[in-house]
Amino acid sequence: MGVVVGPRVIDAGMSLLSVLISPVPVAAGYPSPAQDYFDGRIDLNEHLIKDITSTYVVRVSGDSMEGAGISDGDELIVNRALEPKDGSVVIAVLDGELTIKRLRITGSGVVLQAENPAYPDIRVPSVSDLVIWGVATRCLHHV
Amino acid sequence: MSKPATMRQMPQIAHVDVNCFYASAERAFDPSLEGKPVVVLSNNDGCAVTRSPEAKALGIPLGEPWFKLAPRAREWGLVALSSNYELYGDISARVMELLGRYSAWLEVYSIDEAFLGVKGTPEELLDLGRTTKAAVRRNVGVPVCVGIAGTKTLAKLANKWAKNNPAFDGVCHWDSVPAADRESLMRRLSVIEIWGVASRLTKRLNGLGIHSILDLSRADPVMIRDRFSVVMMRTVLELQGTPCIPMEEERIGRDQLIFSRSFATPITTAAGMRQVMSVYGQQASARLAKHGLQAKVLTAFAGTSHFNPKDTSYPSVCVPLPMPTADPVLLTRAAHAFLPHINEGIRYARAGIMVTDLRPTGNQAPLSLFENPHEERHVGTLLEDVTRRYGRGSIGLGHAGIRGGPDWTMKRDMLSPRYTTHWDELPLVKAA
Ligand SMILES: [Mg+2]
Repeated sequence: MGVVVGPRVIDAGMSLLSVLISPVPVAAGYPSPAQDYFDGRIDLNEHLIKDITSTYVVRVSGDSMEGAGISDGDELIVNRALEPKDGSVVIAVLDGELTIKRLRITGSGVVLQAENPAYPDIRVPSVSDLVIWGVATRCLHHV
Repeated sequence: MSKPATMRQMPQIAHVDVNCFYASAERAFDPSLEGKPVVVLSNNDGCAVTRSPEAKALGIPLGEPWFKLAPRAREWGLVALSSNYELYGDISARVMELLGRYSAWLEVYSIDEAFLGVKGTPEELLDLGRTTKAAVRRNVGVPVCVGIAGTKTLAKLANKWAKNNPAFDGVCHWDSVPAADRESLMRRLSVIEIWGVASRLTKRLNGLGIHSILDLSRADPVMIRDRFSVVMMRTVLELQGTPCIPMEEERIGRDQLIFSRSFATPITTAAGMRQVMSVYGQQASARLAKHGLQAKVLTAFAGTSHFNPKDTSYPSVCVPLPMPTADPVLLTRAAHAFLPHINEGIRYARAGIMVTDLRPTGNQAPLSLFENPHEERHVGTLLEDVTRRYGRGSIGLGHAGIRGGPDWTMKRDMLSPRYTTHWDELPLVKAA
């Protein structure tokens, strides 16, 4: 549809997304036609972010998602344009706080699950009873 | 009175405006602010520049100094925040880029307002308004209202109506509202409520028997031109349904300066865009210096032409400046940071920059209060040349006044994190 969406060359130091790209700063040059088929240096923005306008990066605080490989201090890439589905890892607004949970949509209702047995499930009648802030697409786990 | 189908397909203008923008941008990342009275304070924590609806309901006037509010803040549960222009600049850029997906023609009017060219039946237009509103809310996270009408002036009026009357649910298509209702609205509203009428002219208008917007819309445009100005005549014509307000190339808001224009010949290369951005950098510098101001955040944007709906592109980017500045070199360099965001070969029909986070020039007196000798004598260009040849830092400006005082002179006790532009200030999500 001709809409230009998504990442292009990002000037190092200019946006938070520059942190995601290779450690060598990308020169603030011009995207040249050659870049369309140049397949050299990997641009993480291109691979990790589908819709840059609708994407935010957030940081995890707490251990309730350990079972999903999401640890305290990890960064998450969150796409607000995505429709939350059964199984999505979502950022939901709970008691005025951005909270990360696994969304389960079943025949008997909707559940927000932690991925850690120490934390109880939260049940609501339907998705419309929730405020979903965004859907996490990637975890930048600190190894 | 039904219009022929072709009439209903005439191009219209949608005015999109973020509801209490600064407060909404803060709420997008701190949902605990939802439902609470919130004010955002001007630089130096001076006075309330944005009020949430709850703060308005408390009777807090726009521009109320913080020292008057502070003693009652606890009792009211009032949350006051310092202005976080890096956050607002980035959210603004996202809103504009997203809006560009819904129209083949978009004009950024201010940090939180844009005009979109739209076409369709009244039902389609309402539908587009609702879709746009929902998309900005969902994808970016801030609420907007949409006014759609045949002219910019009426679109802005429709937007105001949509904001104030819950029955519209945030989207008002002017022509779809019964004529009697439109008339009674225009009769109720004082003439100063319309876009383009300066309040200092109210007395003179009243002297001619023009009190309400309805009165003005029924005035003779030629008489208005002779007694006032072409600008005021255009407002009258627009109220009568004739689009005639061109985009001003330089717009001065309460806390922002915008420079933008459309090009007779589209820009298709980064080199061309570089020149345009350089011109804006110089213009912004001159204007800031004239007002004794410095800026800390710059937003640059561009857009394609509606004649070429195939390759639409509305890139927009927020560039935090290294220090508060009115320096043409720094402003131009910041504007050039936009260049990697444009696509070579795309035909850009308009572009602009906006500077925000304005504050008075630092403690040191500037070289001149009313002109920028730096600019007049092409020091900027000279500096740029030298810098290019001998590297950054090889030459600097001899007077600290131009570059301004250090940032610590700014009082910002209640500053929220720069959630979207700083890696060490990302929003925290609770895993508990
Ligand atoms: Mg607004």
